[in-house]
Order: sequence, then structure tokens, then C-alpha cells
Amino acid sequence: MKNMLKRIAKRSPWLYRINAGSCNGCDVELATTACIPRFDVERLGCKYCGSPKHADIVLVTGPLTARVKEKVLRLYAEIPDPKVTVAVGICPISGGVFRDSYAIEGPIDRYLPVDVNVPGCPPRPQAIIEGIAEAIEIWATRL
Amino acid sequence: MFSFLKILARNLILGPSTDPFPHGETFTPEGLRGKIRFDASACVGCRMCEHVCAAGAIRIEETADKSGLEFVLWHNSCAFCGLCEHYCQTKAIRLTEDWHMAHRQEEKYGYVEKGVVGYVPCSRCGDPMVPVAPQLMKIAYRETNRDIEKLRDLCPDCRLKQSVGGR
Ligand code: SF4
Repeated sequence: MKNMLKRIAKRSPWLYRINAGSCNGCDVELATTACIPRFDVERLGCKYCGSPKHADIVLVTGPLTARVKEKVLRLYAEIPDPKVTVAVGICPISGGVFRDSYAIEGPIDRYLPVDVNVPGCPPRPQAIIEGIAEAIEIWATRL
Repeated sequence: MFSFLKILARNLILGPSTDPFPHGETFTPEGLRGKIRFDASACVGCRMCEHVCAAGAIRIEETADKSGLEFVLWHNSCAFCGLCEHYCQTKAIRLTEDWHMAHRQEEKYGYVEKGVVGYVPCSRCGDPMVPVAPQLMKIAYRETNRDIEKLRDLCPDCRLKQSVGGR
């Protein structure tokens, strides 16, 4: 039974998106990957979900501002293990153009384990899909 | 009531509108700003790109053995703003249309574009200097002749002496 569940789960990871203080640029691209049939990430078997408790792959955007840090960490802790984390855009990866600002606590890998990085400001939808495909591969090994 | 039949029929004729990527090829619009490529042979070490880089992604430093200048661009910080290409007089920096940039965390800090501009000795005093790229000569003099070409191998000090002193 457990094995069967694992086999099924492998093919359908659920995506969850955390905005850690992003400018909305990457979020728009993420919305594009989901809502526009041209890009349609859901055909890879994944699906956006509304609750962190259902999530398998976490997409983080934004440089982790001081203001949202605690909330992001709390949210992240609610996501059950195993999970795969994808940093979308240069902000969560390195701080991007906001690096060294007093309002920035990131890059996020100081606080959360990151698995895949998708740089760009913002990355185009195809690049994000490529990152998610990579994350799905990692997800399959974690189950 | 049956308007959905119309849509159904149209969709059957038009086929799927989904981009085949990542299972197939995708399109890349012309002029898309992607990964940066650095051409060390055209770089004159003016450091303009380092100065204008909004994201602090570019660093130019002397190599450890003092044999030249090392250019490092960290892709994980570049915002594709294109200022570096715009201000680079010799066009040693170019933005390519390559957007395949997703990578694993292990590669995070190794995901860079590197290049070394090796020093050459001044033909008069022998001091090491950054070579003058032909692209720069073109911008500075448009056409070059033998006299001007001679200046190319001189370090800034010797060049000054040569052009003012005439010898
Ligand atoms: S494109 Fe812009 S942000 Fe990127 S390295 Fe060049 S100047 Fe910096």
C-alpha cells in the first residue's frame, strides 16, 4: 500500500508558492506558467495548492525582507517533509539588486535548505518550468 | 446552449496551444536578454561594467599571480539590465539569448562567467600593462596607421611621452 502511494505521489507533486517580499515580477511569471495554456506547468503532473500542508515543491520568490522573515519561516515549517525548495529569481538566491540592504535578511539559503536555483530578473516562464522539472526529478528521489 | 460545441470544434481544428517545452523545442524571441558572455580579447580593463552593474554581479580584480586582470560575473546576481553591454565601449560584454539557467544548489557559487585579460609588457619600458584591444583603437582613431599602431604597445606613461615628445 505504502509503495503504491509512493509510486503515485512521485508523479504528482504539488506546488506551493511563498512570496518572501518579492517585487511581484517573478510571481507574475509563476502565474503565467500556471494560468496560461501556452506554458501550463500542470501537464508535468504538478498542481498549485493553497495550503502549505499539502505542498511538496516550494517555490520561493523575493529576497526575504526583514518584515516577512518570521512569517516565511513559520510557513515553511508547516510544509511536511520531504519537500523540494526552488528559489525563483535572483533575489532569493543572492539578494539580487537589493543585496546588502538593511531591510533584507536573505539570501534565503541562510535560513532554508534550497535545492534548485532559477536565476533571472525575472526568469522567463520556460526557465521556471525547467527549474520545476529539475525539482520534480529531485522529488522523485526523496520519496 | 451549444456554444461549447463551437469551441470544441475550433479546438479540434487548431490543436493544442501549449508550448512543447520541456519535452520539445520552444521559441526564443529575438533580442531576449539572457546569460552574459565575456570576451577577454576585447576587454581593456576600464572597469565600467563593474561600476554600472546594478546588482554588483561583476568583479574585476588582479589575478593572484599578478599576471593580468580577472573578470568574474556571477549569474546568480545578474538582473539582465544590460547596462554593462550598453556601457562597454569595446563590446567585450554581450548579452546572449541563452536563458537556460536553472541549476542545482551545489553549483550556486560556481555559476559564473570568467575571463582573464593577461598583461603584456610595454615595448619601451617593459612594465606590464593591459593590452589595448583592436576594438578600442578603432573607436579612438577610426583608421590606424603605423605611427598609431606603435602607440598600441606602449604603457600609458610611455604613450604620453611618445605622443607629446614625439619620439
Ligand atoms: S546586466 Fe546589469 S545587473 Fe547584470 S551584470 Fe550587467 S550591469 Fe549587472
